[in-house]
Formats: sequence, C-alpha cells, structure tokens
Amino acid sequence: MAASDTSKFKVAASGVIPFAFVIVLMLYIFGPGGDLLDFGIALPEITIEKVDFIDSEIQATVRNTGSIPVQVVVADVNDRIQPAAVEPDGYLERYETTLVRIPFEWNEAEPYRIGITIDDGTRFEKEIESAAFALEFTLDLAIFFAIIGTYVGIIPVMIGLLWLPFIKKISKQKYHFFLALTAGLLLFLAIDSIEESIEVSNENLANSFNGALLVSTVVVLSFLALYYVGNKIISKSDSLHFSKPVAIGLMISIGIGLHNFGEGLAIGAAVGIGSIAFSTFLIVGFALHNTTEGIAIAAPMSRGKLMIGKLAIMGLIAGSPAIFGAWIGGFAYSPFTSVVFLAIGAGAIFQVILVLLKWIQKENDGNLSTLSVVSGFAIGMLVMYFTSIFV
Amino acid sequence: MIVLLAVTIGLSTIIVFPSFSEAESELKTFVTHSGKVIRTTGEVIDPLYTVSEVEFDPMEYLREFNYGKVSKLEDGTTVREYTIIAEDDKVMEVSPGVFYNVWTYNGTVPGPTIRATEGDLLKINFINNGSKEHTIHFHGIHPAEMDGVFEIVGPGGGKFVYEFEAGPVGVHPYHCHVMPLEEHIVHGLYGVFIVDPKEGREPADEMVMVLNGLDTDFDTENNFYAANTIPFYYQHHPIQINTNELIRVYVVNMVEFDPINNFHLHGNLYTYYPTGTDLVPSFYTDMITLSQTERGIMEFEYTYPGKYLFHAHKVEFSEKGWVGMFLVNDNANSDESSVKYGS
Repeated sequence: MAASDTSKFKVAASGVIPFAFVIVLMLYIFGPGGDLLDFGIALPEITIEKVDFIDSEIQATVRNTGSIPVQVVVADVNDRIQPAAVEPDGYLERYETTLVRIPFEWNEAEPYRIGITIDDGTRFEKEIESAAFALEFTLDLAIFFAIIGTYVGIIPVMIGLLWLPFIKKISKQKYHFFLALTAGLLLFLAIDSIEESIEVSNENLANSFNGALLVSTVVVLSFLALYYVGNKIISKSDSLHFSKPVAIGLMISIGIGLHNFGEGLAIGAAVGIGSIAFSTFLIVGFALHNTTEGIAIAAPMSRGKLMIGKLAIMGLIAGSPAIFGAWIGGFAYSPFTSVVFLAIGAGAIFQVILVLLKWIQKENDGNLSTLSVVSGFAIGMLVMYFTSIFV
Repeated sequence: MIVLLAVTIGLSTIIVFPSFSEAESELKTFVTHSGKVIRTTGEVIDPLYTVSEVEFDPMEYLREFNYGKVSKLEDGTTVREYTIIAEDDKVMEVSPGVFYNVWTYNGTVPGPTIRATEGDLLKINFINNGSKEHTIHFHGIHPAEMDGVFEIVGPGGGKFVYEFEAGPVGVHPYHCHVMPLEEHIVHGLYGVFIVDPKEGREPADEMVMVLNGLDTDFDTENNFYAANTIPFYYQHHPIQINTNELIRVYVVNMVEFDPINNFHLHGNLYTYYPTGTDLVPSFYTDMITLSQTERGIMEFEYTYPGKYLFHAHKVEFSEKGWVGMFLVNDNANSDESSVKYGS
C-alpha cells in the first residue's frame, strides 16, 4: 500500500515538477520586475464592428481590439464631429464593446464614413456603402426570410434529389462518376466557405482575432468532431436501422446544411445592409447552385432502398438551415458568428468528402484513380465554378 | 458535435455579446443642434456642447497682451524685454477626453502675444527647456542673425537672445523654425507678434484669434480645428462684446496641412487690413480667405444685440471645431471702449 502510494506520488511529482518550472519561467518573463519583454509602446486599437441606421440615428458597435484599455471620446460622421451618447460608457477594457449612438438625419442609399476617436487622439473609421434602415424584427419580415430561405435552400435541394431515380438506374461506373462529382461539388463549396469566412473576417474583424487562424482552427475542430460522430453514425447504422448509404446521405445533408446556413447568413446580411440588388443576385445564384447539392445527397442514397420520407428529411436537413441563416443574418448579424459558422460548414464538408472518397474506394475495390472518379471530381468542381459565376 | 457546438456557441456568446462594464443607471437627456432629443443611460460625448475642462484658457488668451519689461535708453528709445521658454513634453487635454502632446512657448499654444510699438528695441530671452532643438523665427524686419533659422538653440536649457527693432506695423506670427518644420509648427510652437503704429490705433475692444489645427493621430491631416487651440471653445463660451463698440480682431492663420482657412462673421461685415501694415482697409466683407501664416486686422461694430456666429466657411473646419460665437450685449456706455492699447 505504502509503496504504491509512494510510486503514485512520484508519478504525480514527475508530472508536476516540469509544470512548476514553466510557471517560474513565466513569472520570470512576465511577473513583477520582469523587464525582459519591455519593448516599446503598446498601441491602442478599436474596431467598429457594426453600424446600424435607425430613425434619425446612427449606431456604431465599437470593440477594443488592442491590448490596452481605451476611452471613446469623439464620434464623427463623414469626418465631421457629432455629439453622441455612449452606452454603457466610453471606457473599454480589452475586447469590451460599447454602443455609440449618433443622432444624425442620414439619407437612405448614401454612403457614410463613421469615425470614432479615442483618448490619445487616434481616429478609427468604418465605411458604409449604402445607408439603409436596420432591420427590426417583424413577423412579416421573418416570414419573408423564411420564404427566401425555402427558395434558396429547400426547393433547389429537393429538385436536385429528383435526379435520384436516374442515378439509381445507371451503371456502377457512372454511379462512381456521380459520387466523385458530388465530392467535387462539395470540395468547391468547402473552399468557397473558407474564402468567404476569411473575407468576412478581413473586412469586419480586428487583426487580434487572427482571422485566418480562427478559420483554420474552427475548420479543423469541426472536421474532427464530425469525423468522430460520423463514424459513430455509420458504424451504428445497423443498430439504428439506417442503411450505410442513408448514413452517408445524412452526413452529407448535415455538411451541406451548415454550408447553406452560411448562404442564408449572407443573404440576410445583404438585405440587412440594404444592398437589394446584391441580395437578389445572391438569391438567384444560390438557388441555381444549390440544385447540385441535391445530387450530392441523392448519389450515395441511390444505392439504398428508395425511401421518399427519408429523402425529404435529408432535403430539409440540407436546405432549411438557409432559413435560420437568413433570420440570423438579417436580424442579429455579427461578423464573428458568421466567420465561425462558415468555417464550421467548411470543416463539415471536408469530413463529408472524406466519407465519400472512402465509400467510392470501398465500392471500387480500393481504386480511386479510375477515369470515372477523376473526371467526376473535376466536372463537379467545374459545374460549381460555372454556377458560382452567377452569384 | 454537440460538445463542439456548445463550445462554439459559448465562445461566440462571450465574444459577440457585449460584456458591459458597470453601467450608470441614471437617465440623461441631451438635445442636439438639430433639435433631436436623445435619452441615454450611458455617457454623453459631446465636444460641441460639453464645456471642456482644459488647462489652457482660450478666454484669457483672447485679450492678453505681453508688453514685456519696459525700460528706456538714453536717447528715449523704449526697450522691451521678454522671456520665452520652449518645452515639448506637455500632454494637454485639448478637447474633452482627447490628450495631445503640445509643444509650447511659455506653456501655452499659441505662445504669448508679444506686443510693442514701432521702433521699440526688443530683447527676447529665449530658453529651450525642451528635449529637442528649437528656435523662434519672427516674421517682420530684422538682421539675418536674428532670424531664428540658422541659430539652432539646443535642448535642455539652451539660450539665445533675439534683439531687433519692432517693425513693420501690423500683426505677425512667430514660430519655431527647426526641421522638420511642419512637425514643430503643428505641435504648437507659434504665437502672435503685434507692432502698433507710433500714433496708436483707435480705442477698441481688442482680441487675438489664432486659427490652428491639431493632427492628433499624426496622419498629416487635422483632426480638430479651432480659433485659439480648443475646438468649439468659443461656441460654449461666447465672447461677450457690446453694441456700438469697435471690436478689433488680430487674426492669424497657423493651420498646417490644409491650403487655406477662412473667417466668416454672421450678421455683420468688417473692414479688413491685410497683415495690418497699411492703415487704410482693403476690404469691407464678411469673409476672408487666408493661406498659411496669412494674417490681418478685422474691425467691426454690432448694432443689434444677440448671438452671432463666426466660423470657417470651409465648413469641414467649423464642424471640426473652428466655430465660435459673439454674445453682443446691449450696453451703450461700456468701460472697455476707454481701454487704451499699446501702452
């Protein structure tokens, strides 16, 4: 007993001692009196994350994204100083936000530059291309977004699913072509999501969020999480009364659903910031684009029994997140959540691609380099590229 | 998946939704110039209507003239001796909450208004207590070695005595002439030098307005503009004057980065003497435009009492602080008209 206690203690100690040294090292570098890292002056930084135009008032959400506290002291519109209210107050610790309310008779569809000056006199600015009333939640608008989401998400995916009987009847070779095509389509979507999320973070998030690293971290984490859960679903598909094709179809639907959530966000935000022409464009483009997503779900499921009900559920899983995305994008847009959701979508799609490739490999006796697979993959990418030109 | 989602949502919530600092619960109301009423439990940031509590008092500066320590030479020439100390380490609240490093002559931006009569002998004892090299370059007529360009005065107590005869008549700027010149000027090393004619000018309520700008974030564009340094100051502290009393404003444009500045007076016109060197006015107008260091003397009287604006009609400048107000009091017998300047 005593001997085993001693050895446990030794194990614990051998684990803790290096850790203690780490703490000592950190204290030495950062602790009081540690002037080793005293390089120059920390510069203050704030980011104007969001600007809302409401009745006779412009509201800016300001975050302290630097490493030292700041005080918001002056607000301006188009570089002309304006009186303003700061709620709750102008003192911001790191990452704290405040709302700057500037009374201003703004004009619809005109561009504005909103500036905030902090206590050391540095001015920060955000440019709004076209002023439009911030969307307020109304039932009508919520229904409008739901209809848009249905047009963009659910209906095109359902149309895509209609290719299922066709895919069911074709030869094994052609079937592999369609599976590879699906993987190609999805890879395109994943890259598209990453590009979009990095763009949103570059335009709206402060450098201190490390946009590209945030995106890659979330992509990898969501990939790993879905990879683990996905394998669980597939391995348990028998006991859960799923066939393996259904399980794969489900994974694809979830992945596409997360992606469509991102598309919904984009549409909602575009309507929210008043770019009507742009939002119409997005709606038409995404709708066209998303029919191909139906094929992606239909292809693996065509090898199972034809179950209209299950297929419809898949269509809903893949399509309906566009509605939720539009709601969030329109009513509660936040660049940070957009970046995170788009990145989760990308990670989810990568996982689906991996599952699909494994599935083709298994079906194809371990061979991925057949003409049908390679050409399917390439054509999938090309189809997406050409439909994306419409967006 | 669920864990991931929970962690993501948790993190997003923390980052996205404001972690409000302790809110003040008191409800305040403020009315903007457009008449819009804003109710807020927060803090009002408003350099236009909030009284700025700054070290430098533009109201005191407005009518303060430094005649120096006066003595006479045997031949009857008046000698005026001034001491000007340069510093460059002062951080001053220039607008509510905005802290800017001003470089000063005698602790203020602009420096003291030096005043003499044509023909006086001036001795300006200059001490540089700053951490950089500085000089004083006077506009006007003087020997080359008194020009403050090549006679660099070292930091940490360096000394130089500028000696010259006051002239010509008029209003002139003085400023540091050390390179990079723009930096030294925009930080505040300038002031006004008035030379009165021997016969004096008509009695008046006299004041000095230096039109200047502050580039608080060093991007070679001014963030604030003002008459006498503090943005919007004379808007919430109107300058009190009397009806039917001659007002004489010595106006000097020291703005950097912008090619012009100007002065527009409301409800009135003024006679204008460019540079003040000619005793006959050149214009009768309500608007003059001034390039860098252009200056002149404006004279006017108000007949009707009330509030009158004056501001840059380059509206950008007035909306960034170069705007003020005269409060004209109906006061037929004022004492100030008996003040004799130039003594």
